[in-house]
Amino acid sequence: MMCRPAFRRFAFAFGTAFAVFYVLALAKNLALFTVYPSFGVVVWGTHLARDVVDPALGFVAPAMYWYGWAATAALGALGVGLVAVVMPEQWARWIWLGWLWVAPASAMLGCIYLTLPWFRLNL
Amino acid sequence: MAAGGQAIVATVLVIIHGLVAVALLGAITHQTLSTWASARARPGSFFGRFRTVPSGAFTNAIIVLYLVTATLGAVVYLYFRVDIRPTLEQAGRWQVLGFFDLKEHFIAIGLALLPAYWVCWHQPRDEKLTQTRTALTSILAFIVWWGFLAGHVTNNIMGFGA
Repeated sequence: MMCRPAFRRFAFAFGTAFAVFYVLALAKNLALFTVYPSFGVVVWGTHLARDVVDPALGFVAPAMYWYGWAATAALGALGVGLVAVVMPEQWARWIWLGWLWVAPASAMLGCIYLTLPWFRLNL
Repeated sequence: MAAGGQAIVATVLVIIHGLVAVALLGAITHQTLSTWASARARPGSFFGRFRTVPSGAFTNAIIVLYLVTATLGAVVYLYFRVDIRPTLEQAGRWQVLGFFDLKEHFIAIGLALLPAYWVCWHQPRDEKLTQTRTALTSILAFIVWWGFLAGHVTNNIMGFGA
């Protein structure tokens, strides 16, 4: 089965852009929405647990941002993907294919860097 | 739903999540090794037999298994955040939480690579895509292995250094 060139451009641009947007969303804590699983509540944007309850009671209302970060990155990547679809084929040929794996690999290293504080915590 | 019922649902989902992940692990590992194995492997040898299986045949199965595993993981993560993570934080298991956070990040990045991965494996005659196909498959294999090991360690945390 072969795929259409437009879908190929979309898929390549989406995967590359998602990785970049994801690490940015993580670094800047840009969640499209925040999930409070204890209450079954979803609110738009990034809400810190301390805005909802006293910091000492933060464990009562744990906030989850992962879904929101992924949604932020998906939204940004969708935009880039759509631009790639309407881009002339000649322009697309100039873009190095290697970005498709260099960007995610770099984003993963960025995620490791941003997660390092966890490994420095002590009891 | 009562707390006991929720615990049963969460346990069942984690087990299914783990079983699907094992299938995914096997498929992606086979495909990755076959992309790296030399095409001139001696016939009848381990890698020779490995190469005879068309690696592209795994692609759709890997995508479906990845999607199912990630979806189940995303559901189970809600239970983890409320019931498990606070306990791990109180116990000072920061390294485990760090590894688990990385698993979430890597899985999300891998999820977005699936369309490109599908394209690469469905255009086998495109010579320019060979390197990209190998790299994407390797990245996905790394993500799946990391997710499996981090999830496995977290799931069995009571047995690690307890």
